[in-house]
Amino acid sequence: MNMHPRALEHAYSTLDHVIPNESELTAGVRIEAGRSYGFFTDTTVCIGCKACEVACKEWNNLPADNIGLTGQSFDNTGALSANSWRHVAFVEKSGANGLRGGQDQKFQSGWLMMSDVCKHCHNAPCLEACPTGALFKTEFDTVVVQQDICNGCGYCVPACPFGVIDVSTVDGKAHKCTLCYDRLKGGLEPACAKSCPTDSIQFGELSDLQIRAAERVEHLHGIGVDSAYLYGTPGAPGATGDLGHLNAFFLLIDRPEVYNLPAAPTRPANRVAPSLATGLATVAALALASAFLFAPQRGERP
Amino acid sequence: MTYVKEGVVTIVQESRFQLTDDNGVSHLFLLDRNAAAEPAQLAPLQARQARVRVTYEPARNLIGLVARSVRLLPPSQAR
Repeated sequence: MNMHPRALEHAYSTLDHVIPNESELTAGVRIEAGRSYGFFTDTTVCIGCKACEVACKEWNNLPADNIGLTGQSFDNTGALSANSWRHVAFVEKSGANGLRGGQDQKFQSGWLMMSDVCKHCHNAPCLEACPTGALFKTEFDTVVVQQDICNGCGYCVPACPFGVIDVSTVDGKAHKCTLCYDRLKGGLEPACAKSCPTDSIQFGELSDLQIRAAERVEHLHGIGVDSAYLYGTPGAPGATGDLGHLNAFFLLIDRPEVYNLPAAPTRPANRVAPSLATGLATVAALALASAFLFAPQRGERP
Repeated sequence: MTYVKEGVVTIVQESRFQLTDDNGVSHLFLLDRNAAAEPAQLAPLQARQARVRVTYEPARNLIGLVARSVRLLPPSQAR
């Protein structure tokens, strides 16, 4: 069994202090300001236990929402919201593109499960849309809303191409995953990744995660899961439209839309210049048309 | 319909806080947008383990309570 050498420093199960740089023991990474951190979510090993959802709500003191039955199989949170910063999607389908394909029992369905979260985009559209500067990039290259600055205008909500950020109806401010900013500052792994029993959610330094994910895709291709690909790494689907890359990226085995992810997300800011040009061209065309229509005809007295 | 609870603020996250009452039961509150308190005022209350009185209403479609006001109780009323 691989044990981190630092684990020997803590031989007792009851501790009278917080373990410094605990993430070294739990995620194998030391959290330092100025580096880029994120999540790699391998959906092929997600079992839909929702430990991530619970850990997120527990640590962030978030209330349960969407009370009642959604009618969507095992999904009770429904979607990401101001109070649900992790959402486990349950996609029921026959076979799973190579995984268990043709091996299902007649009474069984195939399940695709994915723990969705804020993608902490490199070029975050929510941050670009925020007029007050409440959304900012942290020293860990994550995107966080400063609650005391947010004025609840909601511009960030339509700006997000993934539909992540939401304005709370109770406090009127925008809320989303902070990638456990407070835990990172304390040297702790984010709650969702720490609680994941299958390591479907892996936390780490982005460059390491991207290498690990590429190796995982190669391994899956090697065992016959040709449909495996990455969503959100540089140059891959999900990192389109000038988003750069996503700090929370995914390994998928079906089309992004199946997981309720956009196939080609874009920055709304990309559409500002064409929209402005179209508007100006329209004004010019209308001015020209009116000049022709209402100009005095030859022979008419002005 | 508003209700009142007294206790100690034990956890604060953004505008959400947990109040532990005299029976040791914890309740999750969300600060209302029109509340007579600011989210920034919650963290010092938690740090001081101060006793407070919270006026609240049940939240719609949430398992939580909406805090309308948070008042610091004078030391004489503190246990």
